[in-house]
Amino acid sequence: MAEPVDAAPQAGESELEAHLETKRMIVNLGPSHPAMHGTVRMRVELEGETIVRADPEIGFLHRGFQKSCENVTWTQCLPYTDRLNYVSALMNNFGFLNAVEKLIGLEIPERAKFIRVIGSELHRMADHLTCVGAVALELGGFSAFLYAIEARELLVDRVTELTGARLTTTFGRVGGLNRDLPDGWVDKVLKSLDKIALLRDEVDALLTKNRIFVDRMKGTGVIAAEDALDYGFTGPCLRACGVNYDVRKAHPYWIYPALDFDVPLGRNGDNFDRYIVRIEELKQCDRMVRQALSLLPPGPVILDDWRIVLPPKPEVYGTIEGVMAHFKLIMEGIQVPAGEVYDCTEAANGELGWYLVSDGGGRPYKVHVRSPGFAILAGVPRMIEGRMLADLIPTFDTINMIGGEVEQ
Amino acid sequence: MSEKEQPKPAAAPPPGPPPKPQPKNPGFVTATVDGREVVVKPGTNMIEAAKTVGSEIPYYCYHPRLTIAANCRMCLVEVSNAPKLQPACQTPLSEGLVVKTATARVKEQQRAVMEFLLLNHPVDCSICDQAGECKLQDYYMRYDHKPSRLEGSKILKSKRKVLGPQVVLDQERCILCTRCVRFMQEVAKEPQLGLFGRGSNERIDTFPGAALDSNYSGNTVDICPVGALLNRDFRFRARAWFLSSAPSVCTGCSRNCSTFVDFYGQDVYRYRPRENEAINKSWMCDHGRLTYKELNRDRALQPLAGRGPDARDVAKAEAAKVAATKLSALAGTPGLAVAISPNCTNENIMAAMSFAKDVLKVPHVHVSGRPTGAADHLLLTADRNANRKGLEWIAAGFGLQVKPFDELSRGIDGGAVKALWAVGGDVPEDLGAFTQIASRLELFVLQAQNESRLGAVADVLLPASSHVEDEGSVANQDGIVQRLRQAFPPKGESQPHWKWVSDLHAALGITTTWASAREVWRALSNRVPELASFEWDTKAPPAREARGLKPIPAAADGRPPGYREYGAPRVRGI
Repeated sequence: MAEPVDAAPQAGESELEAHLETKRMIVNLGPSHPAMHGTVRMRVELEGETIVRADPEIGFLHRGFQKSCENVTWTQCLPYTDRLNYVSALMNNFGFLNAVEKLIGLEIPERAKFIRVIGSELHRMADHLTCVGAVALELGGFSAFLYAIEARELLVDRVTELTGARLTTTFGRVGGLNRDLPDGWVDKVLKSLDKIALLRDEVDALLTKNRIFVDRMKGTGVIAAEDALDYGFTGPCLRACGVNYDVRKAHPYWIYPALDFDVPLGRNGDNFDRYIVRIEELKQCDRMVRQALSLLPPGPVILDDWRIVLPPKPEVYGTIEGVMAHFKLIMEGIQVPAGEVYDCTEAANGELGWYLVSDGGGRPYKVHVRSPGFAILAGVPRMIEGRMLADLIPTFDTINMIGGEVEQ
Repeated sequence: MSEKEQPKPAAAPPPGPPPKPQPKNPGFVTATVDGREVVVKPGTNMIEAAKTVGSEIPYYCYHPRLTIAANCRMCLVEVSNAPKLQPACQTPLSEGLVVKTATARVKEQQRAVMEFLLLNHPVDCSICDQAGECKLQDYYMRYDHKPSRLEGSKILKSKRKVLGPQVVLDQERCILCTRCVRFMQEVAKEPQLGLFGRGSNERIDTFPGAALDSNYSGNTVDICPVGALLNRDFRFRARAWFLSSAPSVCTGCSRNCSTFVDFYGQDVYRYRPRENEAINKSWMCDHGRLTYKELNRDRALQPLAGRGPDARDVAKAEAAKVAATKLSALAGTPGLAVAISPNCTNENIMAAMSFAKDVLKVPHVHVSGRPTGAADHLLLTADRNANRKGLEWIAAGFGLQVKPFDELSRGIDGGAVKALWAVGGDVPEDLGAFTQIASRLELFVLQAQNESRLGAVADVLLPASSHVEDEGSVANQDGIVQRLRQAFPPKGESQPHWKWVSDLHAALGITTTWASAREVWRALSNRVPELASFEWDTKAPPAREARGLKPIPAAADGRPPGYREYGAPRVRGI
């Protein structure tokens, strides 16, 4: 730009041109900030608007999940798992149950496997919709957020019909499921899926080619595939870097091998790729749920073994055998054979791993959760240091940190 | 083909039994149980032999301290020298025998036995005291876990037959193992129970016109594997899984039977005998069993200063100050007497005697305690005080003369004794008469666990905690020293005698190093030769033994809900 000629100096101009002394400034983002999902505190050291150092500090939502589990029966751990990733509680429920069943050596009924997949994929959609909506919202796109949440509400309604709870589902029991699908639920789900597809495309149309959105997302929050692997990234955040790792494909469980679905991959490992991977996964979830619903076999949803599963109530009230089994299962818990197990499922944010140790009693000796969000949050400084402060918000959104899961 | 048939040779005599194998380990029997070699003394049965290699054989009727009945059929196992399954309780191990305890045949047998036992068992778990510590529940989950196949109704029998002052019988729940019958016959030697009727009408009962009134009837409740025999005192008072257990000692007489104290919050609900080969085997008497009530009711919980209507609540420190000042003013005078109860633990007695000897400078102590009763043929002794032996040892070790209690009451009556420091509120005489006498005292400092008329005539009442509220040790009449463990912290404002003595010292400006019963032991037990060799720490049983059903704990260490280390616990109703 050319120097303005003959321009009379304006009042205060000298101050504008004066050398501004800059010094590093430490700013707290959170813990009580709407953009810091849950209550995480980000201690950010700024040089102007550039982030020199970022230090995520967790612990504000710590509940002692792992220790609490040691004091209750295996079944009573289940409500605690709801509170891990509370946006997609079903996947925590089923993941935990799957690990316990692996430790016991149980094969659950086929129909239960189908329903577990259906529930998981529905909640994966809810999780991704929340994430995508939140990204839009926090970058100023309120309408996209509303569309996403409208779609999520449909899913929450279907999950409520299935489990009886909007958020803390506590669904499933060791050995299968505590209840079958409600009447007419399948049709409702199919209708909801149609509506969700429309809403999803609306969100897609509003955001994916939106200039403002793309400018803020592309090239920000970048992490290289090797770094992501080193940090232990899994799930959409890892796949956005182009690494093809999905537990459903790598270590198939339940009925995933029977389903036809693709694993969407990104290329650049930036915020935009993480966003677009989630949009694509929404489409895959839709495919999977429709397939699973069409293949859903009849049959029981839970095993018939009174050492594992509560007897039917008429047996409990009417026969000594039933009341004994009920009493022992409630008071002492399922006697899980002594041993240890690692088992993982693909949760919304990546590999949800369970390391369980049993001493042969009714309560866990040790429960450790490998929460996907923990490793990803640890990688945030790597993604954001040297970048602008404004990039922190979309980065924090697209990693989809869930406080309940990271801090347990 | 005209070959003639050869006449058959005469049939050879059948081979005799195979020669007995030479013992692999001379003097012992060597056999194999579940693929593992066991070496046991001849005559050992299979249940005990299998235990040594970690194979558990289930049983109902077998009890190691009773004769073998082999009627429950739960312990049938597969053995190499018999085609049929054999009862493991009744069959001694023989050389070279191969025993299998977990084959499909055995498991099917166990399942079938469980099914039969449960066929007529009432649906009672929710109202049964035994629930949570019931062998039927345990074994059902382990060996049966199948639904009922009963069609029609169950056989009805007497549901609440009162057998005696302590025991009530639910005949429907009974599995007819006859443990109780055998116990009364063989251990208590008072055969008051029998088996009557046949088939489905068979039942346990007392003989016509007789009652189960033995002093050992409570043990039949303990050994009943199901909820048929119930203790009338404990019935419907607590659910077993809410109770915590601490190993302790019964202080009902000088036998010192090892017990578990079952408690909830700060209330004791029952004593159960704890295995002790040297003293009580697996048993205890009904008299001792009921002494737990003293720990709950009429407890002195608040220090009082002033006599009769002048009595007022005071803080611990003030009470100790008043008592110490008044007592020490009389130190060394012949009018001052000290009475110590032989129901106190060694630690309390040592602390009290050290104060009596070194501060109050008395030459002798009087022994209080409960009045003597009648001994019986098994465990109960005439001396109803737990630790007389320990008191005598300690008095000798401290150089104090032990004098009987009646000398004290005569002394007070005659005016020779004007001041008394009593550690423990029991008196071996008529309480009313002694209260009359004690009211003439010029100074009466009483440390008592329970409220009584005696407390009303004391100038200072210092509430003492009970033996289950602190660590400690006691010596029985045969000189066997046992450790007892703390179940819960002292109730109210009470504290152990040694702590009061420590406070008395402190009120006089004398520093003691006692912060716990253990430190009292460490500081003073070296003055008592009989106690010096007792290993106070290593002889302690584990503080809380998990037993039966493990409840869902309120705290990680199994303490009851509402338990707090400091301050009064929040005790919920049961």
